[in-house]
Amino acid sequence: MKQRRLLALVSAVLAATGLAATGGIAMADPKPMPDNAKVYIIWPMDGQVIPGGKFWVRMGLSNAGVAPAGIVKPNTGHHHLLVDADLPPLDQEIPSDKHHLHYGLGQTEARLELPPGRHTLQLLLADDSHVPHDPPLYSKKITIIVPP
Amino acid sequence: MGELHRLTMVSGVLAAALLTAPAFGQAPSSTPNPAEEHDHAAPEAHPAPEAGFKRTPAAADAYVYIGWPNDNETIRTTHIRVWFGTRNFGVAPAGTYRPNTGHHHLLIDTALPPLDQPIPNDKNHLHFGLGQTETVIDLPPGTHTLQILMGDGDHVPHDPPLMSKKITVHIRATDNRVAAER
Repeated sequence: MKQRRLLALVSAVLAATGLAATGGIAMADPKPMPDNAKVYIIWPMDGQVIPGGKFWVRMGLSNAGVAPAGIVKPNTGHHHLLVDADLPPLDQEIPSDKHHLHYGLGQTEARLELPPGRHTLQLLLADDSHVPHDPPLYSKKITIIVPP
Repeated sequence: MGELHRLTMVSGVLAAALLTAPAFGQAPSSTPNPAEEHDHAAPEAHPAPEAGFKRTPAAADAYVYIGWPNDNETIRTTHIRVWFGTRNFGVAPAGTYRPNTGHHHLLIDTALPPLDQPIPNDKNHLHFGLGQTETVIDLPPGTHTLQILMGDGDHVPHDPPLMSKKITVHIRATDNRVAAER
């Protein structure tokens, strides 16, 4: 018990110095991730032409784990797929709308249907409360083409 | 140490029991285009679970598959990235109990373990309890089998069990790079 309190104190001090270093941005509790963790889109490929516009997106994560939203566990997070959108603010909860799809069950694949045209896809990992990690983990932004 | 020894012995007995069991049917299938669709284990007859650990239900349309390597692939390195595919189901670390989630176990050169008990933890049954969705394994040159079996928060297979097709890979080591590195 005493040890836990000491740990909390140390964490608080660390957090405080962290805040000072980052210029005081309100980050509740930065969740750790391994340095070599990497998020990437396995499929489709950048520049892929997808007739019909219906496809599965396969989400890749190296050197870290997937956990549903609400599960607090170091070195884990869940996927968010940004469709035709830029990265949202990285110190806040990721919006939830048709451009920011949440996979809070811990899914690693998603079925999409996109209309004809060029579309961008990008993965952004986030912690138990949908806030990106620190440093944030996101994939390359890729473009796919749905022919008319 | 004593416990480890006993565990090893138990695994050995289990493995021996499994070896004598009839081989699980494996439907022949054409090699799919890896970029689009992957085939997955067709529902097969499995031994009815005996009374044992409580098993977590899984959605009927959930399935898991090995996204890479492909069945019967010849691989020219001993370091292989294995990619775990999961559809209509979530990935969650061991010790978490959310419906329709589980974590992957990679069975290497082994038959399915009993499906009503925690999956063994040894070099033939790798656990990915952090919720990993891929791994890199080392396989010596030769022919090997790989199969994914999903386990719940307590490492017990779901009901119905979620498992991939058992695939065969041929390792012909010629270089040291990790295959399927992207």
